[in-house]
Amino acid sequence: MNLLLPGMYVAADSTLHRLDPRVKMGAALLLMVLPFAAPGLASTLLISAFVAAIAILSAAPPSALLRTLRTIFWLGCFMFAFRLFTTPGQPLVALGEVVVTREGLLAGVVQVYRLCLLVIVASLLSFTTSPAQLAHGLEALLEPLARVGLPVRELAMVLTIALRFVPVFFAEIEKIAKAQQARGAGLHARRPWRRLRNWVPVFVPIFVTAFRRADELATAMEARGFRGARRRTRLIELHLTRHDLLAALVVLAVAAGTWTLEHLM
Amino acid sequence: MLIQVENLVHTYAPGTPLAHTALQGIELKFDPGERVGILGPTGSGKSTLLQHLAGLLEPTGGRVWLDGVAAHERTPAARARKRQVGLAFQYPEDQVFEQTVFRDVAFGPRNLGLKDAEVAARVRWALEMVGLDPAAVEGRVPFTLSGGEMRRVALAGILSLHPEVLILDEPTAGLDPRGRRELLGRVLAWQQQTHMTLILVSHALDELPRLVERVVVLNKGQVIADGPVRQVLSDGALLRAAGLDVPQPVALLHALQKAGWAVRTDRLLPEEAAGEIARVWEQRSRGTRHRSVSKVPRGHREPEEDIP
Repeated sequence: MNLLLPGMYVAADSTLHRLDPRVKMGAALLLMVLPFAAPGLASTLLISAFVAAIAILSAAPPSALLRTLRTIFWLGCFMFAFRLFTTPGQPLVALGEVVVTREGLLAGVVQVYRLCLLVIVASLLSFTTSPAQLAHGLEALLEPLARVGLPVRELAMVLTIALRFVPVFFAEIEKIAKAQQARGAGLHARRPWRRLRNWVPVFVPIFVTAFRRADELATAMEARGFRGARRRTRLIELHLTRHDLLAALVVLAVAAGTWTLEHLM
Repeated sequence: MLIQVENLVHTYAPGTPLAHTALQGIELKFDPGERVGILGPTGSGKSTLLQHLAGLLEPTGGRVWLDGVAAHERTPAARARKRQVGLAFQYPEDQVFEQTVFRDVAFGPRNLGLKDAEVAARVRWALEMVGLDPAAVEGRVPFTLSGGEMRRVALAGILSLHPEVLILDEPTAGLDPRGRRELLGRVLAWQQQTHMTLILVSHALDELPRLVERVVVLNKGQVIADGPVRQVLSDGALLRAAGLDVPQPVALLHALQKAGWAVRTDRLLPEEAAGEIARVWEQRSRGTRHRSVSKVPRGHREPEEDIP
């Protein structure tokens, strides 16, 4: 379709695409925590180099990857400002009560850089892993919790369906918005309140079709024997290959490397 | 309104791995009051083209001119022209949102800033045009209507704008044959009453010849045929190459021609084809057997069985 959200899955056949989703999700989680757990310069460089390496392996266009950073622009600004003004240390500029310190400037830059790394890692995961694989991986990773009564499989199914219908939903909004625009709805009104009111003719039909679609989907699933809680078989089973194990080892090696850099040097 | 499409190019998601060029250099012209059918397989760019005609998309290249004004611009002149273009997407019933039928049909006229009396008059007129009784349905909640009725309400919501150009994207999708015939009959009646330009995407090949004078065939974002309906729809090779069906009468006439009958193949409607077969049948029997053929069977298949 004509829709591309930042970080949306892009079908391709790269090294990263072929990895097992469980390995990818575990690795992503580790790589997202690492920059915060290992604040040193050397370990940050190591992690950055590794993220750059997997970005190359992902075959994702660098421009598309960088574009995902736009989503955290305001959060980044806020975090930078927060660090800038609240870190005590050697003063650089003072505006009355507000003091900007050298340490604050440095901490702000580092903080924002870590945040960017986190978003890049998350984007790499979502670029190379289809929603179905994500849900499947999550279900597999959370499987132990099913034993203590958490409805893991149901949650995974809910997640799969939700992710599956995101593009459908957006396409629907676009179609209805255009249809109402063709009837003279002022969807680009300047004043926020009026603009919100003018979108009512779009959102009412969207809700109606969403409920109808949910109903139809439930019927269709039941008609094909979906029984919720029971264990389901799968068309595509997850199997760890040698490549997956290798990838997991490499990521663990990077983590061990940062630990060494932090504690032994 | 005169519509000119000039070298129109549209690329979805440009600059990304999903970039897809839906239209590649479309050149078309629609005269005021013309009735044009648009055909093309799925993904040929029909819907994209229709949205451009209504000024709802920004061209990647080229322009759509509505009476000489570029359609996608956000100027008062362009907006005024766009208001004259009514567009119904596929399954238009999905866009119904108001609490009553009256208010939904009135949505467009209200947005035009018309007075209450004029709005009410237009709503009644539009509901009558789609074959609904205004007094009976005006106060009803649209969501309690049947699917077919809701579609008519949605179409009334577009007719109430009194557009100079009416664009319908498969208005009969999902209707049964009778509903389809009835709706298309009404569309033709609207056009004849208001003399608006009618641009119709429809795969009802058995009905299209009754409705439109001209047919444009799109394939892979390009115009591969544009001409009188009789000429385009009788070109079996062209239609099949684009992955489209051939009207059944035309397919039959082509088969007869192949079997050595001197029939013309540009008879699109069943009754036209039957007449053509009867004419040739008469000639043949007169030439060979001097048999009276005053009672030629009207069925389409029977003459074919006589082929040696």
